[in-house]
Amino acid sequence: MDEERRGTWFGFGFCGFGQALGSGLGRQVHSPEPLRTPGGSLGVCRVSASWSYTAFVTRGGRVQLSGAAGGTADGCTDAWASEELLVLLRAGPGAGAELQAWAPGSAMRGDPLWSQAVQEAEHGPSRDETQAGLLPLLPCARAYVSPRPPFYRPLAPTLRARRLELGAEHALLLDAAGQVFSWGAGRHGQLGHGTLEAEPEPRLLEALQGLRMAEVAAGGWHSVCLSETGDIYIWGWNESGQLALPTKSLAEDGKTTAGEASGLEEDGSEVKRGSAGEDGAPAPFIAVQPFPALLDLSPGSEAVKVSCGSRHTAVLTRTGELYTWGWGKYGQLGHKDTTTLDRPCRVEYFVDKQLQVRTVSCGPWNTYVYAVEKEKS
Amino acid sequence: MAGPSTLWETLQALLPHTKEELKLELGEKVEGSVLMLLQEAAELFLGGQWRECLQTCEVLLDYSWEKLNTGPWQDVDKDWRRVYAFGCLLKAVCLCEPPGDATSVAAALKACDMGLLMGAAILGDILLKVAAILQKHLLSGKRPAPGPSQEPPGTKKARNDHVPIPDVTTERTVPRLHCPSLQYFKKHFLVPGRPVILEGVANHWPCMKKWSLEYIQEVAGCRTVPVEVGSRYTDEEWSQTLMTVNEFISKYIREEPKDIGYLAQHQLFDQIPELKQDISIPDYCCLGDGEEEEITINAWFGPQGTVSPLHQDPQQNFLAQVMGRKYIRLYSPQESEALYPHDTHLLHNTSQVDVENPDLEKFPRFAEAPFLSCVLSPGEVLFIPVKHWHYVRALDLSFSVSFWWS
Repeated sequence: MDEERRGTWFGFGFCGFGQALGSGLGRQVHSPEPLRTPGGSLGVCRVSASWSYTAFVTRGGRVQLSGAAGGTADGCTDAWASEELLVLLRAGPGAGAELQAWAPGSAMRGDPLWSQAVQEAEHGPSRDETQAGLLPLLPCARAYVSPRPPFYRPLAPTLRARRLELGAEHALLLDAAGQVFSWGAGRHGQLGHGTLEAEPEPRLLEALQGLRMAEVAAGGWHSVCLSETGDIYIWGWNESGQLALPTKSLAEDGKTTAGEASGLEEDGSEVKRGSAGEDGAPAPFIAVQPFPALLDLSPGSEAVKVSCGSRHTAVLTRTGELYTWGWGKYGQLGHKDTTTLDRPCRVEYFVDKQLQVRTVSCGPWNTYVYAVEKEKS
Repeated sequence: MAGPSTLWETLQALLPHTKEELKLELGEKVEGSVLMLLQEAAELFLGGQWRECLQTCEVLLDYSWEKLNTGPWQDVDKDWRRVYAFGCLLKAVCLCEPPGDATSVAAALKACDMGLLMGAAILGDILLKVAAILQKHLLSGKRPAPGPSQEPPGTKKARNDHVPIPDVTTERTVPRLHCPSLQYFKKHFLVPGRPVILEGVANHWPCMKKWSLEYIQEVAGCRTVPVEVGSRYTDEEWSQTLMTVNEFISKYIREEPKDIGYLAQHQLFDQIPELKQDISIPDYCCLGDGEEEEITINAWFGPQGTVSPLHQDPQQNFLAQVMGRKYIRLYSPQESEALYPHDTHLLHNTSQVDVENPDLEKFPRFAEAPFLSCVLSPGEVLFIPVKHWHYVRALDLSFSVSFWWS
């Protein structure tokens, strides 16, 4: 398997707090650079990036922080970084595991803010070198961690949760049957139920019924999921083109690429439904997409992994290509510039270097990627 | 003739010179990482490193902007708005670094306005002071021209649309009173919750004589304001955007507008204190429980044809008409069921019915609901009791000022 080919982690985007992201020169890295962490990226199997710091988890169970928060801790199987809390899953004193929440500034010294014994997963997903841990979903899948109190949040047992992702004010859940649930605030359409209303409890995404989803990802105010057949469904806020739909803000700067510049109205009316006009005219701007829209990356491509920053999206194809779009001001799209894009663009760096991308993990304003050399045929 | 170096000196004199003074008192909600950046921005600013300071400000602005967009606006922690305002302040001043051309100063003023619109007051309302200085500087360098359309002042393109003026003689009209006493108003209208038009109360306010398109452009032309685009806020194509008052007038009032633009429900008088001197707070507001500072004063400025769909507000309202006329219809809260409010949380205070073109098949009870109506003209003040449903359509280019009080 992939065990034979050791890959490398790369990073690009915001690193204004000195968090390891390639060279880390200045505040931003605009093109992928290999990670510079103590010990290189050897053995790093998971990266969880918050805004001001990043947590690296190695296969040996060490968690290393970089950026505004520092320190290392051993005996960890998973970590999840947020500005309010650093959550660690550690091998417990007994047979089980312990969930610990630390103040990021504590460098994991002294006592955690709180801790709780948790069940190990009975049949966890296969942990290959790039398989992300489940946090903020707990191994038992009966609860998840929130950065805001209450920190420990149970899930209804009927929801057989497989993955859970948290946005700025919403949550997405993928269950064992490939169904997607969402709840939380909905003012930007991020719940996908066709309205702007909030949902207090997990609600099934009916628009996706009948399709088995394989992955979900939550950005600040947008949501993405991938079907088992490699299709991308995306919904929520499109203010920076993070849905790969035409956005007004780019048109006003004369930069939208999603529609013909000459065909768009100057004042650009914003509509809530996305589709090309009946007469074939370029699609109008979309500020909010309140239910899932199907997104075509490129003909024949199959999307296999997805991750979202606060206002950008990154998708990985089966053939190892990385596509990014959305907010690009800090170089988080990796296209060697700071352009914000409202259509998917391939990150050429990996193609040029003959690298196949295997994992992508976005922090709010940056992107981490794990890639291996292409097999020589 | 004020030159850029004088502008720079004026700004520098206004801003604090020590780290202790250039500091915000913030609570726990603001994370340590942000406090680090605030300190860094202040140090860069005080150290004269304007470019680097601007970069740090951008990070502060982008991060606090995300906080401002998380959760309902009224729940956003004020500290995040202060952080945002701080970023806007330093950004605005750094942008005026000499040579400080007109474009840079306009950008600086826009940064101030963003801080005033979305931020919260900091350092003794310093953003208002900076905005006033920048505005003065911009105006001193220009002839008082109307704006991007370059039309000479005074020649507004007359809009002679054949707009239907409702025949209010067939409708029950809102009663009119000339300067009633406080007690009379309280007993007969405030307490029972009955609408009334007050005459002789606002007709001598300076705005009634002073305000015109030209005057508004002089006093507020280069200021950035929120504008609603679309026929009405219940429409799918409705949106909000930001632009300068000059751009608004040029695009949505003077030219042949493709859309309806409305400078609606905006606390313009907090943003531009000079305009506040042209209006007064109606004396009758003292009958309320609240303090004068708590009264919300909103500007409503737009072309003929703006519509506010039938809705209710949680406070008492005095609507003073300054420019143009408005057709207004009022329904008592007792008729709420016949007005079919939306069942969503967002729009529960808004009726589903299009008042002047109701779908009576869908909303049959609406036809029988009794109402009062009026055409409100310049100088008149309409009292809209709390929770009283009201529908408003501008019959002319219009400017109204509303006072929400409790």
